[in-house]
Amino acid sequence: MAQPVVQTIHRDPALFWWILLPITVVMILTGILRHYAMILLQTAPKKQMLPQIRQQRSLVRGINLRTNANILSPSSFQARKVFMVSAYQDGKFLADPEARGKPRPNPMSDPAAMEGMMGMMKGNMAMMIPQTLIMGWINAFFSGFVIMKLPFPLTPQFKSMLQSGVGTRDLDVRWVSSLSWYFLTLFGLQPVYTFILGSNNSASQVTQQMSQMNPGAGLMGPEQDPDKLFLNEAENLEVLEHRWILDGVEDRLLARLSA
Amino acid sequence: MNEERELAINPIVQTSVQHNTQVVSNIRNLTASLFGVAAGTLGLESYPGFIFYLIGTFIVSGLVFVFRAEGKPSEYFHRPLGDLWGGDVFSGLSSFVLTWTLFYGLVRA
Repeated sequence: MAQPVVQTIHRDPALFWWILLPITVVMILTGILRHYAMILLQTAPKKQMLPQIRQQRSLVRGINLRTNANILSPSSFQARKVFMVSAYQDGKFLADPEARGKPRPNPMSDPAAMEGMMGMMKGNMAMMIPQTLIMGWINAFFSGFVIMKLPFPLTPQFKSMLQSGVGTRDLDVRWVSSLSWYFLTLFGLQPVYTFILGSNNSASQVTQQMSQMNPGAGLMGPEQDPDKLFLNEAENLEVLEHRWILDGVEDRLLARLSA
Repeated sequence: MNEERELAINPIVQTSVQHNTQVVSNIRNLTASLFGVAAGTLGLESYPGFIFYLIGTFIVSGLVFVFRAEGKPSEYFHRPLGDLWGGDVFSGLSSFVLTWTLFYGLVRA
């Protein structure tokens, strides 16, 4: 079987200056713009009343006691545990003790929950709008001709996507139009953003998804009953198996020194 | 239980782990882009290009092992095998393909 003829296309060198470079620069600038837009769009945390803060912090205090329990000596852990459990069960830290045992209001009517949803919407919009705009821009200006050759072969399924607007049936799939350069920059520019903007920038998709999972938000959301959370935490503290880290430290020290 | 106790005695600080991962991924991203430039300039196509990338990342892993971890990766990584040698191999692939395509297009095609 004869070797297939290698197709060559002579292209204008100006293609680089007028297509590849502008697309790359625009992609980098959109990433930077998205980063700063996300910073601007972030709503400052609302100022909370003192009882609310106390309610939230005391739950965090219980959790901290539970996670760091092994550092405390048995007697001091017992004292803390007894205090926290009794305070939780009496509802001492509750923001409004009268509301104990009443059903919670509908979360949809709560303005704080709506605000959280709006924040998530804004994040998604900041991703979607630039991508749609740039795709449209590239399709409007730069479609209908090939600009470069990929260094690796692809299956013919990619032909319709990467050679959109190029009406030649037999052209090798490795010749691609500007849209594929857009896709390459979309995925390949993450490290560039990292170098320009620092490691926790919001220009790349992955870090943005991570930042939406705000750890503090789920801890005491408005839809959860703080009293139930407190009782739950009291139970967790009660069943915790306490094991002091300094148990048998002398033996360990001697073993290390003699080794 | 024994391992849990060991972790409590010698705790792993999350911040340090993150910092180490950050350093390694910075090195990987930068070198992946440079390998792309090299592969494109050499005019490598399809499989030789990807093999070039794999060999390059392996050499970079060796350099990180010798110079950054000073031959003792277990002091810097929680799981030396996965985090240093295997883990990040494909994270730099997209930037490698980007610069590879760009320089291949500029130099050869």
